[in-house]
Amino acid sequence: MSVSGLVYVVDDDPSFRTAVTRLLTAAGLSVQGYCSGDELLAELAGEEPPVGCGCVLADLFMPGLDGLQLQQACADAGFELPFVFLTGHGDVPSAVSAMQHGAVDFLDKCAPQQALLASLERALERSEHTRLSRARHAQLTRRFAALTEREREVLEQVVHGRMNKQIAAALGIHERTVKLHRSAITTKLGVRSVAELTTLARNAGLFAEPPSACP
Amino acid sequence: MSLVTTLWSMQAAAALTVAVLYGVVWSVDRRNLANLTLCVVAVAMAFVARAEVGMMHAATVAEYGDWARLCYLPVTVALIGQVLFIHLFLGTGRRGLLWTIVGLRLLVLIGNFITYPTFAWRAIIGLRHVPFLGENVAVPGPLVLRSWHWLAFATCLLIVIFVADAALRLWRQGGAEQRRRALVAGGGVGLSLAATMLYAQLVMMGSLQLPLLVSPSFLITILVMAVELSRGFLLYRQTRQELEELRSELARAGRVTALGQLASALAHELSQPLGAILRNAEAAELHLNNPSPDLDELREIIADIRKDDRRAGDVIEQMRALIKRRTLQMHPLALNELVQDVVSLVHSDAVARHVAIECVATPGLPLVSGDRVHLSQVLLNLIMNGMDAIQTSPANNRRVVVEARPREHGQVEVAVTDSGPGVSAAIINKVFDPFYTTKSGGLGMGLPISRTIIEAHGGRLWAEQAPGGRGLTFRFTLFQAETALRTQEIFQAQGAVS
Repeated sequence: MSVSGLVYVVDDDPSFRTAVTRLLTAAGLSVQGYCSGDELLAELAGEEPPVGCGCVLADLFMPGLDGLQLQQACADAGFELPFVFLTGHGDVPSAVSAMQHGAVDFLDKCAPQQALLASLERALERSEHTRLSRARHAQLTRRFAALTEREREVLEQVVHGRMNKQIAAALGIHERTVKLHRSAITTKLGVRSVAELTTLARNAGLFAEPPSACP
Repeated sequence: MSLVTTLWSMQAAAALTVAVLYGVVWSVDRRNLANLTLCVVAVAMAFVARAEVGMMHAATVAEYGDWARLCYLPVTVALIGQVLFIHLFLGTGRRGLLWTIVGLRLLVLIGNFITYPTFAWRAIIGLRHVPFLGENVAVPGPLVLRSWHWLAFATCLLIVIFVADAALRLWRQGGAEQRRRALVAGGGVGLSLAATMLYAQLVMMGSLQLPLLVSPSFLITILVMAVELSRGFLLYRQTRQELEELRSELARAGRVTALGQLASALAHELSQPLGAILRNAEAAELHLNNPSPDLDELREIIADIRKDDRRAGDVIEQMRALIKRRTLQMHPLALNELVQDVVSLVHSDAVARHVAIECVATPGLPLVSGDRVHLSQVLLNLIMNGMDAIQTSPANNRRVVVEARPREHGQVEVAVTDSGPGVSAAIINKVFDPFYTTKSGGLGMGLPISRTIIEAHGGRLWAEQAPGGRGLTFRFTLFQAETALRTQEIFQAQGAVS
């Protein structure tokens, strides 16, 4: 399989758990089996969220935490693991609920092997994607953190398309000072154009709202 | 002893035997008044026979008159008894006619005891002796009849009309059984009454030189009545058997319904082993694609496939056993094992509904005598009821406890307790009424069926508030296999003696 990552198999039926683990291992995936949601949570609790690339393949109906509750518990604990659910008798409400909470798929226990592997591949891709964007985001946040308070104020105005003159008036500083701040910002963030700067700020999730100090 | 005395004593004895028999039958089932009327008619018949012997052996006119006068009492009782019997047995007699007959006949009886010698006769002028059954018996000479003597005759005529009318009306209702009853009871009783009436009339008019007798016809009537009623007993056996078959059919319907409710959970129960088999097979395929497959791993996979296949087969076997039509087959059973089997059947359903099912097994519990399938059905029903009862409880307090323990008198008790809200004392026994249900989709047949099953096992099933707080407990008792065996032996021994 092209993607990598760990598949956490959670099923109370030891026989089915063993069989799935065997299949997935033979298909080239790294697998770890757990007999209950609580066992998985206990294992994850030892790690700092977010964990590495991985996904959960869980039975919908289990004693103790059921599949949907486990999904909720993982999300609450900050583990953004995509879920693929297995069920012996899938009912529509459970499926809808699972998908609304971001499950990747909802499969019958006897679903074709290709469907199961495709779902897991998608889940692992999603996990990988989440991990990458999170890493990018973290890096961006670090870069923006290097700016001074005044530079952030100027940047906010720039992102919202204000001219230097307007910025100077809004912040009560000289226009030449604004220019100095702008060149410092571009140097620190390593961007060359205003367009690039705006995209970067948006990616970092900054300045979505227009500045309050609008003249 | 003369032949007349012997024959009439035998008649009386036969009548009294029937009386005792049907008196006992009536005392067992007091609702069936037809048995009582037959008993009364038979007793009266014995007295009539005695009075007739008195009349035939009378030496004087006065003695003959006394016996004839006395005879009115048992004859009246016998006539009214027959009319009531026809009324009860055919159920189509006209009430107005019935009470008119009773009233008139009582009037005749009272009239008889305030006049002399009898209601109909003003005087008996001499006795004659005629040969009868090898001896000379007394018959009345010319009789002086009273002006109202026709009233006694008219009453008898009304009785014949009443019987004929009731029989005719039943005949018209159609139906083989109705027509047979109308013919036998109506015809037998009606004809013998009519014949007696005619005979007595001819004797009184002096046309027949024979003793005045009514008992032979009464005996025929009694025999007809007895045969008709005993047919009822024979039918009872057949009905009982039909009832037994119906009960077993109903129980099966109950099991099928219970399985229907469990269907999705059973599908889940099956999908576990089937899914495992599929995944194992797929894994094996992938291993075989390897140039040097891991043979140990493959062997393990195949062993697991076998194991899961058996597991799926067991689930199907259990379902099939519950659906099969069958009567009670008593065998020694290990209750703990039975409880485990049933719990495994509802396991998936319980997990899906967040119910914890606890089995409290008493080690060394004696075997019970019972039918595995029927008892599984009862347990299934009680556990599923318990799970329904706690549907509204918080998820961390949904428990059903199944407990089996030995009891005194060679019995074993099973208790199924839920942690639900319980029911009020007012309706705690209503739950066993057919069609009583608190569930929207419920049919209300589960508990009544369960109760009949347990009662067919000789045990009891009842409900009570759970000990120490909320919830409901269903308890039932069964006999230990050893006790059941001993009881059976005792019965067999008694059967051999009798």
